[in-house]
Amino acid sequence: MIERIEKATEIRHWLGDMEADHYYYSSGIAGEKFFVALRDEGQILGAHCAACNLTYVPPRIYCEHCFAELTEYKDMGKRGCVVAFTIAHYDKAGHRLEPPEIFALISFGPCTTPLLHRLGEVEPEKICVGLEVEAVLKPKKDREGKITDILYFRPR
Amino acid sequence: MDLKKIRKDVAVVGAGMTVFARRLQETGKEMSWEAAKMALDEAGLTLKDIDAVVLGSAPDAFDGVHKKGEWLLDGAGGTNKPFMRVYTGGGTAVFAPIAGWWHVASGMFKRVLVVCEEKMSSVQPHAQSAFAHIWDPILDRPLRPNLVWIFAMEMQRYMHKYNVRYEDIALVAVKNKRNAVGHPCAQLADPTITLDDVINSEPMALPVRRLDISPPSDGASAIVLVSEDVVYEHTDSPVWIEGVGWCLDTTMWTNRDLAFPKFLARAAKMAYEMAGIKNPRKEIDFAEPYDPFDYKELQHLEGLLLADPGEAAIMTREGKTQRDGEFPVCPSGGLLGVGNPIAATLGIKIGEVYWQLARKAGPRQVKKDVRTGVAQAWGDLMQFSAVVVMRRR
Repeated sequence: MIERIEKATEIRHWLGDMEADHYYYSSGIAGEKFFVALRDEGQILGAHCAACNLTYVPPRIYCEHCFAELTEYKDMGKRGCVVAFTIAHYDKAGHRLEPPEIFALISFGPCTTPLLHRLGEVEPEKICVGLEVEAVLKPKKDREGKITDILYFRPR
Repeated sequence: MDLKKIRKDVAVVGAGMTVFARRLQETGKEMSWEAAKMALDEAGLTLKDIDAVVLGSAPDAFDGVHKKGEWLLDGAGGTNKPFMRVYTGGGTAVFAPIAGWWHVASGMFKRVLVVCEEKMSSVQPHAQSAFAHIWDPILDRPLRPNLVWIFAMEMQRYMHKYNVRYEDIALVAVKNKRNAVGHPCAQLADPTITLDDVINSEPMALPVRRLDISPPSDGASAIVLVSEDVVYEHTDSPVWIEGVGWCLDTTMWTNRDLAFPKFLARAAKMAYEMAGIKNPRKEIDFAEPYDPFDYKELQHLEGLLLADPGEAAIMTREGKTQRDGEFPVCPSGGLLGVGNPIAATLGIKIGEVYWQLARKAGPRQVKKDVRTGVAQAWGDLMQFSAVVVMRRR
């Protein structure tokens, strides 16, 4: 075929999709503890592996490095610092985001895995790696046990 | 096949599996970890001892996560190790262990962990939504087939060509659901089920009735494979993988011999040649063929050359395939009795043959002394089979 077709739908075709109606994703055993503590206590939990001296945030029931079962959950507090960040100016459809959205990895201390979230109440030009931040949560009555119960992290 | 190129003998030294059930709470990673940890514990190994990890899981559409292999990696123990995911639909249950075998047989790795996971409860409204997309989008899908209809046609073809009675097929479901009573992971065990229960169960797509099928499930299973170089550090009585084989028939399922699975016979001959088996009916003591439907156990026994076409139904009627019969088949309880979380059925195929040969099957242990067993799984668009022969030397 040497004819150039500009519109894909001009050729004989069958329309289809690969999607199921929807999926139920569950948070798992450790995830359940994390989200219930966030909703009810306003806590951000981690799980500590003593053998590897590593704290997973959010928690897990196993250490992926040594396979130990993790049963020690601890409240990481609300304060952390920025490990990496980006300022997004366009969404996935190419529309301009105004104001831009700021995503960051937040560390709760040495030997912990960082948490992905957003930054808020901050001038984009003042953000840097190492910026000290704190979590801003939704009021308790609005919390649903979701990662968005944390609104964003702001400088402290 | 050049058998001289196989450098190392490979043994199974541990196996683990989770309960098979609709497990809404646990994540696939958590189930993978549970099974993998059990297998390592039985082998007396820790994750640090493992050189490479093979993961088996059926299409991403079930868990609803793309790159499911990489997503499950940390639960399967693959972090910072050589890792690969394989899948051949339901055949993954036996094909992932074959992939693990070649990692060790090649001489590249001494200790390999194989983990299989499936979480079919995520996809809504039913796993058939995902199965709907395995068909040809132009010739098959507009007619809106589903798997049960297709298998019903295959079952009918099998019954017609070899003059097999439905009542003899249904006896497989009775046997396997009773066998599963001793299995700690069983979802579908039923100590009191009768032939009438199966015959009178709800028609799905005739001749298939509800109790002829194993429904969707969630679970994970794992095994540890080690090289002959280190096997005696871990056990005094290894269970060896003696032969492996796999084969695919055409994707145009309409063009296949639906009564006799030729692709399986080819896979079995490959595995038997590697294992040095000349007369499988004499040299193999028991079998764990893939039994998502009761007629498949019979068809697979015939494809494995352990019965003539149509003869497996007669063996079943005569009680020969019972756990204490002369040729036990699916002593685990199979997919019909334990459950069918696709790839995770590793635990009731390879896992069961290992436990039987290691005499660790507890209440499921077959009566006669068994030295050689065969495990088989079937999958992709009903066109694939994988066969593994295992032996206690």
